[in-house]
Amino acid sequence: MTSDVTLYHWEPNANSGKPMLTMVEKGLSFNSHYIDLLAFDQHKPEYLAINPMGTIPAMTHGGRLLNESTAMMEYVEEAFPGPAMMPEDAVDRWRVRWWMKFLDQWLCPSFSMIGWSLFIGPQVRERDPEELKAAIERIPLPERRIAWRKAIYGLFSEEELAESRRRVDFGIGKLEEALAKREYLGSSQYTLADINLFNSAYGLPSMQPDDVNDEKTPNLMRWLRAVARRPAVRETWTYSRVPRFAERILPLIEEAA
Amino acid sequence: MTMTLYHGEPVGPSLTVLAALFESGLETDLVRIDLGLAERHGGAIPLGFEANYSVEGEGPVLVVDGEALVDSVFIGCLFDDLAPECGLRPTDPYARWEMMAWCRWMIERLAPGAAALANLAWTTPRLAALDDASFAARIAPIEADDLRARWAQTRAGILSDDHRAASEARVHEAAKKIDDRLADRQWIMGEFSLADLESYAWLAPMRALLPAAFEDKPRLAVWLARVAGRPSVVRAAELARSADPVGSFAPGPEINRWG
Repeated sequence: MTSDVTLYHWEPNANSGKPMLTMVEKGLSFNSHYIDLLAFDQHKPEYLAINPMGTIPAMTHGGRLLNESTAMMEYVEEAFPGPAMMPEDAVDRWRVRWWMKFLDQWLCPSFSMIGWSLFIGPQVRERDPEELKAAIERIPLPERRIAWRKAIYGLFSEEELAESRRRVDFGIGKLEEALAKREYLGSSQYTLADINLFNSAYGLPSMQPDDVNDEKTPNLMRWLRAVARRPAVRETWTYSRVPRFAERILPLIEEAA
Repeated sequence: MTMTLYHGEPVGPSLTVLAALFESGLETDLVRIDLGLAERHGGAIPLGFEANYSVEGEGPVLVVDGEALVDSVFIGCLFDDLAPECGLRPTDPYARWEMMAWCRWMIERLAPGAAALANLAWTTPRLAALDDASFAARIAPIEADDLRARWAQTRAGILSDDHRAASEARVHEAAKKIDDRLADRQWIMGEFSLADLESYAWLAPMRALLPAAFEDKPRLAVWLARVAGRPSVVRAAELARSADPVGSFAPGPEINRWG
């Protein structure tokens, strides 16, 4: 199918999954370009020619480039027809935006610091040291260069990791409270905030079964199953190429169905 | 809908929200609080989870029908949602994307650096002048551990060399980013928008602390004067009670922990 929308993405989770799931929910057809994060495809000249920031995801609509996954989601919501993914009420809309920022800047960096220290770093570290050094030097954004260097060489301090674990534990409790108060995150309907959270939280029941389960977090589990049940979620996972990620979500999707 | 805006002196996020409010033409009660002495946590404002864990740190609070709303850019979006003709956001979706991505850069990259430098210069002496018991009582009700820790660091005047260097680099980067952007336009989005307020509110106070970042940037200088002369900004500035409100900061967003 031809479309004037192209999405450059890695696995259909975390930041890449945010615009992708929004597009699928809206019924928007798009051209998929898989960018292999672990092979540093995002810092190669051909991709930098498209997205000079060298970040994933990015999208083009016609001749225009968009990056920053949360801002991209709002663009997809506003620029294309399909079911509304933002609430009508202005205060509900504020709450949805607040949650997305809290996830983007406070909670999810802690999820990913742990994930990168446990999985991405060790996996990438096995490569040729000179190749890694060159790959780091090619990263255009200084903050991303620091992030990759820390992940690749395992430079997270015990203090940093402990603070991330504290935030994840605390965040799980607050998510449970928020989802006890409202059916979805920040409002009574499924919105961009749910898409944002689901893409980082789907693995919690399998990664932290002692903390996220039907007894301790019944509302978070109810919500995870409700989102996992959505046909759009299943569809986005057809774009996955790394079995390790799919293995973490497929049981949840199967169980929810 | 009843709205009360608890704001500090017209600088930083309080300036953004006050000017955005005046741009919108909406009516709210205005209540002044001293954000730099942690009055936000004094018990008068019904802070909920969102306000206690605001990524922006100690910014103004808009109470709407009993619910406490925070984070300047999102309060600005709320005003724009309630008064859609006010021009705080562009109407075209691509321009809106651009504006939200721009504001995110300002809040995520510039604001932590600007807040760190401003607090060290102006808030640290205010807090250091409090006795230990008075300071402890003021920060005791703060729910978020990391925010409470930032208050203690501010009082102690702690800013590592790395963080100071990164903060100064951010101010230089922001000044250049805005100057470059103004090559073919008068306002950041072409037309005036929330992006001008958010960028101005964090960057303008840095003139007093890091003048080198503003040198040889004629477009930036003209834009700073243009924003300062905007009627909504003038009206906000008139609310100042101190001779120089630029020093009225409070612990802001944390410096990025990772990436």
